[in-house]
Amino acid sequence: MEMIYLILVLFLGGAVLTWLLGKISPIIRDILFISSVIIPTVLFFMNVEVGHDVSFQVLGYKLSWGISYLAYLFSYIVLGLGSLASVYAVAAMKGKKNLGFFYSNFILSIMSMMGILLSRDLISFFIFWEIMTWSSYLMVVFRGKDVQKVGIKYFVFSAIGAYAMLMAIVIVNSLTNSLLISDLVSSFGSFSLSMKWLIPLLLLIGFAVKSAMMPLHVWAPGAYSNSPMAFTSMFSGALSKMGVYGMIIVMVSLVSYIPNGFWLKETIAWLGGITAVGGTLWAVAQDDAKKLLAYSSVAQLGYIIVGIGIGTPLAMLSALFMAVMHAIFKGNLFLVVGAIERQTGTSNLTEVSGLIRKMPWTFISALFSIIALAGIPPLGGFVGKWMLYESLIGSNHYLLVIVVFFSSTAAFLYSYKFLFGFFLGQEEKEWSHIKEAPAMMVVPMMILAVATFVLGTFPGLVLNPIDNGLQELGFASTQGRYWEMSALFNEWGNQVMLQPLVYAIIAVFLFFAAFLTIKGFKHTRYVTTKDISSSGEVPKEHENLTFSQNFFQPFLRAVEPFMKRRIDTYYSGIGNGLEAIFDFTRRIYTGNGQTYALYAVIFIVVLLMFKNALFGL
Amino acid sequence: MNNELYEILRYGILGGSILLILIGLYAALTKRSLIKIIIGLSIVDGGIHLLLIGIGYVKNGTAPIFSPGFENSTANMVDPVPQALVLTAIVIGFAVTAVALSLVIRLYRHHNTLEIDEIKNLKW
Amino acid sequence: MVGSPVLLIAIPLLAAFLIPLIGMIWKESVRLIPGLVLAFMLVSSASMLLYVTNNSTIIETIAGWQAPWGINLVFSPLTGFLATLMIFLGFIVWLFSYRFKRNVDFEPAKKYFIFLMMLVAGAVGIVITGDIFNQFVFIEITSISAYALTAFYTGRNSAEASFKYLLMGSLSSSALLIAIAIIYSQLGTLNMADIADKMYLMPTGYKITALIFFFMGIGIEAEIFPLNGWAPDAYTEAPGPIGAAFAGIVVKAGVYAMIRLVFTLFDIPNSMQFLVVIGLVTLIVAETSAIKQDKLKRMLAYSSIGQMGLVFVAFGIGTAEGVFAALFLMLNHAIIKPLLFLSGSYLVFNSKEKKISEVNGLGKHMPITSLLFALGAFAIVGLPPFSGFWSKLSVLTAAANEGMILIIALVLIVSVVEIVYYFRVVNRIYFFEKSDNVVVQKPRINAMIAMLILGSIILVIGFDPDIVSIYLHKASHDLMNTREYIDNVLSIGQSLTK
Repeated sequence: MEMIYLILVLFLGGAVLTWLLGKISPIIRDILFISSVIIPTVLFFMNVEVGHDVSFQVLGYKLSWGISYLAYLFSYIVLGLGSLASVYAVAAMKGKKNLGFFYSNFILSIMSMMGILLSRDLISFFIFWEIMTWSSYLMVVFRGKDVQKVGIKYFVFSAIGAYAMLMAIVIVNSLTNSLLISDLVSSFGSFSLSMKWLIPLLLLIGFAVKSAMMPLHVWAPGAYSNSPMAFTSMFSGALSKMGVYGMIIVMVSLVSYIPNGFWLKETIAWLGGITAVGGTLWAVAQDDAKKLLAYSSVAQLGYIIVGIGIGTPLAMLSALFMAVMHAIFKGNLFLVVGAIERQTGTSNLTEVSGLIRKMPWTFISALFSIIALAGIPPLGGFVGKWMLYESLIGSNHYLLVIVVFFSSTAAFLYSYKFLFGFFLGQEEKEWSHIKEAPAMMVVPMMILAVATFVLGTFPGLVLNPIDNGLQELGFASTQGRYWEMSALFNEWGNQVMLQPLVYAIIAVFLFFAAFLTIKGFKHTRYVTTKDISSSGEVPKEHENLTFSQNFFQPFLRAVEPFMKRRIDTYYSGIGNGLEAIFDFTRRIYTGNGQTYALYAVIFIVVLLMFKNALFGL
Repeated sequence: MNNELYEILRYGILGGSILLILIGLYAALTKRSLIKIIIGLSIVDGGIHLLLIGIGYVKNGTAPIFSPGFENSTANMVDPVPQALVLTAIVIGFAVTAVALSLVIRLYRHHNTLEIDEIKNLKW
Repeated sequence: MVGSPVLLIAIPLLAAFLIPLIGMIWKESVRLIPGLVLAFMLVSSASMLLYVTNNSTIIETIAGWQAPWGINLVFSPLTGFLATLMIFLGFIVWLFSYRFKRNVDFEPAKKYFIFLMMLVAGAVGIVITGDIFNQFVFIEITSISAYALTAFYTGRNSAEASFKYLLMGSLSSSALLIAIAIIYSQLGTLNMADIADKMYLMPTGYKITALIFFFMGIGIEAEIFPLNGWAPDAYTEAPGPIGAAFAGIVVKAGVYAMIRLVFTLFDIPNSMQFLVVIGLVTLIVAETSAIKQDKLKRMLAYSSIGQMGLVFVAFGIGTAEGVFAALFLMLNHAIIKPLLFLSGSYLVFNSKEKKISEVNGLGKHMPITSLLFALGAFAIVGLPPFSGFWSKLSVLTAAANEGMILIIALVLIVSVVEIVYYFRVVNRIYFFEKSDNVVVQKPRINAMIAMLILGSIILVIGFDPDIVSIYLHKASHDLMNTREYIDNVLSIGQSLTK
């Protein structure tokens, strides 16, 4: 049996078995779950090689499966994050109801993402895309909260995207009589001008929905924060990257060949920039850590889209690097929130505080991820952002660089809020019983935290596969010297390793940390928020005095006019309007049998009157 | 039978049947009483049956029966097929009317009225 | 090959006649005989379908009268496929309603199964007959049993629904008779193949008028807008399994009659465009009406109408691919919609109003039924890897190959609407709290088996659509080749007269 089939069958079988046999006992279920994620993962990395395609026929459509270098890069994200999140999920979800359902959906969504990456033709791409959509939809509604609003919104947007894609697929099939992606790319040049615009646009709508690009992002905050955190980590980390994956293929392989196609590229880049700013501002305004991270995901995906839109080799390099990094650090942050929510029962930044002593490991992994997110040098986020700025400036997008820079600066605000709200500040009495999360949750988080460090120090680990992927897409071969594109690496002597700088920074950091700890150790006094009676004012019992309350009020007041216009309200306006119209159309069915008979008579009379116009030969 | 009479008869049957259909439709579409609607539908049926018969009529035709002395006179027989059709259609019309009337009884028990306007619990 | 086409009509009619007689001796037989009859018919029809797929069309002349004069039955890949599908659904409906609710009593069960047998006989007759008046008779048989079955429950508004259905049905039969009269007056024949053969002789005005009357007559059965006012009411008030039978059997027969007219009998090219337009209007009106429904079955009914609209759009594309897609759609709809009706009827089993809000939270209490409903909902909106996806894909591919991009866009937009209302229900089933006054009804084992059969078919076709595609390809080829149909039917007559 072909290894690709075996891997997908193992995933699928694992999903079914986990659900069915999971009813016997929780232990069997957990073991089945983890093994049906890990075993295919191991098989994939050991046995599947780039360039080996298998193909078969369904309903006369030729389908083909195999993996490309670009897809291989993304499969690191999917399978790596998937394995870690699945280990985490077993511990995090312990004791919840309907776990068999949750696990099998989890496996299904990993399967579908792998399927997307393995698809070499548009139909199987679409099939796996839709499986991914509904399995993640079932995760969004898993907790039964806001299902009619958030869940339906997610699915409607996904469906609009997916159907736009499907429309493009069938048109491509009619034009080229083939569904292979390679055939689409090779014959794209011979399409008529309108098709050259229509097909990439339709495909981009599909991918833009999944990668939460403005103005199609409105589903994202609700969906991200509504699903269980173990899955949101996948959702934001890996699932949204499928949109990025598709977008890269479309932008590089199709849009580049449209006459005047750079306008589309510019538009996408600007939409990405707007997404970044909007997402960041909204993230700053959130008090719920999940929502905060969700908006932050939207913003981070905005950077990636900017990179893709610019489309120079360096921008692509940065976009892909940021995609990998975002999967790692944002995946990890969602896991952190999940751990905190599991231990404390809330994810509200204004309720919990001072967890640094209670959950030190969680804090460390959160710290690493936040530093990576904010793009501070030693960790991975920095490299990606640097390359993005450089590519923007290099391609003369000065205005866009300001936008991106503003957004990335504002990102410090919510990064700080997140870290501070949860871990620093006064310790409340009600949280004194909190313990560190179980090891099965901490270990995946720590692995991800270490990964941010490793990739920040040795970016070549990721840049190598990215370079392979880019060459496959048709960018000029750099013969492994891709880092010469960026000043960042040039300055350090043509090497991909940033160790000297990094080690220096770490040494300074550690020195100050040790210094401050030792110096302040004796004087430290731990107080609660209510411990302010010395100032003459006795706070009421239920007054929320947590530091994170109204954290960035002045800043938010400053950007308020910008944030007032929520695109969300327009969408719900359209939705409600449509439903009102639909409610009106159904009144055609009056309930009176005679009216129906009248319709029939009118129908035939009209047809007879216009028979020559309608059927005239 | 002379030609004029034949033509008059032919158009009379056609016109009459169409008139019957229109009358029936008028009743079925404008009368509010269920019974009258059913009567209207029956009139439509009758009109159509007449139409079918009219189509099959042959000038100076005889009944389509083979009997001694008429073995070779198929040319003069009226077409038997429409008559068979009409017989079938009459039976079907009868069955439908019977079902309709039984439904009307049920409706009357349930709603206490025969006005079709007032029987619209199912709508939209 | 087992049996002959005539048995497919004769046996159920005979059974309908015998059920009350044998029932006087042995009461249980009232429930058993239909099952046995349908099982036999299924085996016979399936084996004949296998035969005609590999060999030639079976044409049966009745009472020795040859093709142009007598009535003949045509069991071709197309008609055989549809007949088998209908008989299969009849069997599923029987299995489901073996002891469904009131059927526990003898009298209602007797009536129910008599009419069910007549319904199946009539629908199969519509499909396999080769005579236009004979088809009219079968349409009436189907309709009359459908009126009766709609009015089966005395407690509800079923009489009202049935009366509306009957009112429209009478108009339909009148229109059909007029159309038949026009055709007979011009061509002097009632045999479909003969009509198709001689159609070029008919003056255009008459031809179009006849076609329009046929459109009205059959359009009422096939639920095209604006002739479908009866449909939502009838689906809502009929017993659940009968709703399934309507969606799977009656409408399919109507659609068949329509396409036989348009593709074989009449050679009016614009009628294809007319099918597309009327199909689109039906699709849009029905799907948008469905979104605000508060009764479960009514929602399903509108969805069913909408699907028929899509079927007409697919037929109207007019290519072999389009016909293939339409037949595939009919097959899927005939599997999925009955599943939705059957599982849905258990979800709202004990409620009076049959409101959608009453399915809240039933996922925990009736897991398998809910799962099957959800499966049906996923399949009908066309999510892969379930069967509905492949048919939707074939429709869109066929449309794209003819360059009908606007139609693709409209169909897809409507699909989004469809997703919204189906997912709202599925969400309610799984993620809402059950209210206390809803009484859960566990499905009987036979009902469960019936639903599981349908559910597994959805999965099987979803994962391997090629197991049905051979039959569909043969059937679409059969429908597209008018000349072959005419020659097949008329050659029998010639060979006998020689």
